[in-house]
Amino acid sequence: MDKTNHPFWHNLFHRKADRIHEVTELWLATPLFEKISYNRCRELVSNMHPRAYKANEKVFNAGDIGESVVLIRHGKVEIRAGDKILAELTAGDFFGEIALVIDEPRTANAIATEDSELIFFLRSDLEEWIQRSPKDGALFMLNISRVLAARLKHTNLLLSLQTN
Amino acid sequence: MLLKFISLPITRTVLLFSLIMLVFSFFAALLAPLLIPIIISFALYAMLEPISGALERQGMSSTSSSLTVLLVLLAFSALAISLLMPHLSTQLAELQTQLPSVWKTLIGFAKETSQFFASSMKLDAETSNSMTQPLFDKANELSKDILITGSNLIIEFSVLVILVPIFTFFLIRDYRGFRNYLLDALPNNSFELGWIIYHRVTHQLQEYIRGIMIQSGIMSVITSLGFFIIGLDSYILLGIIAGILNLIPYVGPLLAMVLPILLALAHTPLEPWIVGAAVGVIAMAQIIDNVIVVPAVIANAVNLHPVIVIVGIIIFGNLFGFIGMIVAIPAISTANIIFRGLLQGLRTRKIETNENNADQLIGS
Repeated sequence: MDKTNHPFWHNLFHRKADRIHEVTELWLATPLFEKISYNRCRELVSNMHPRAYKANEKVFNAGDIGESVVLIRHGKVEIRAGDKILAELTAGDFFGEIALVIDEPRTANAIATEDSELIFFLRSDLEEWIQRSPKDGALFMLNISRVLAARLKHTNLLLSLQTN
Repeated sequence: MLLKFISLPITRTVLLFSLIMLVFSFFAALLAPLLIPIIISFALYAMLEPISGALERQGMSSTSSSLTVLLVLLAFSALAISLLMPHLSTQLAELQTQLPSVWKTLIGFAKETSQFFASSMKLDAETSNSMTQPLFDKANELSKDILITGSNLIIEFSVLVILVPIFTFFLIRDYRGFRNYLLDALPNNSFELGWIIYHRVTHQLQEYIRGIMIQSGIMSVITSLGFFIIGLDSYILLGIIAGILNLIPYVGPLLAMVLPILLALAHTPLEPWIVGAAVGVIAMAQIIDNVIVVPAVIANAVNLHPVIVIVGIIIFGNLFGFIGMIVAIPAISTANIIFRGLLQGLRTRKIETNENNADQLIGS
């Protein structure tokens, strides 16, 4: 019998690979990685940073310096401005993408509302990736521009509704 | 009162910074004998890691890619040494044969000077000897020390040749994993700040190391050419030494003048213009360095006040010798980035806490 097929070896050597595959699939389903190949995305995911948060633990506060976009693998996260809840996010959603583009403090609070596993994609890793694979990097930047433009359009719409 | 003082961002920054520096100092003291191979290995790692990364992306394992890169480096080093070594060893032999005459010239010069002072101050021979003898004894001791240091250098070089490839291999293979393990061990609320500071430090160090390597190379070529033109022997060796000494800001160029001037003084018959020309070559190289090379290559890689630079070189030189003088600038620059990063991170948290308090006050 092939030893590598034994569940013990499978758990030992394949757990991380399974997690990377799952996170890659989650990222590919987001607009940020549209038209980017599985292998390229997987290469990036293997350098991303998974973090575990307890329920009611703050992910970041408005005003914190930040440099990453965050993907929810498991759990729930609320985005708040003061006491107002701006968004409730679940597995597969991402937030904090502004920090990938500009070196400014976070603009809202993010709180894990249940035990969560979050995947951090740092700006420095993105910059390194852009230098290594400029074509994919340009595609990613185009995608992030689309996401930010859509958010801006949505905010403008909300503002115009409020003023009318 | 004390709690309020400790909760201030600047106090927390100073405390945390001191703790980090204490840990760094502990490891620096512990690893002091291995500092040179570690620094060289890190420089090689910075150079080779992108190639190893590219090989890994092509499907090679981290061990195979690290080994491949290292073997290629060793092959190139062996080629370079085999091409350069005959010239260098010839020049080193020339330098060794010239050193006794340099010494003789210096002793003769010192004796003439002491005789001049003795006659002008009307001192008797015994008084004059009692004044100058300790100086000559000290000079003899110094010459013995130089010979011992020379033989120690050969041993140190042999250790380097063995240790550097081993360290470099493990750095290429394991550094990223070890770094991720350490930084990911930070608590959730400090994790991003830790990565931000780490990337700022590595970015600045990479820029600085790349800059000074290019600068050192350019200075070696310029001074070698200059020494060749004025007819100084061992011009390649002198150029390389001048390039290495140029790594030490302010003090290095002055140290770089010593050996060429001594060799020019040993020239028989003594030709004063060669001494002047040797100084001129270093001075000209410094002008080119400051006007063209530094603005183009180093620019604002390290933005430190000159006084801090000089004090830092003296302190690090005292603590770690010659290598301390070279690492002084990147070490101070790193400490500067860490302090600023911590202050920025802790200050924004303070602002946020105040805003929360303000919100609560408005709410109530």
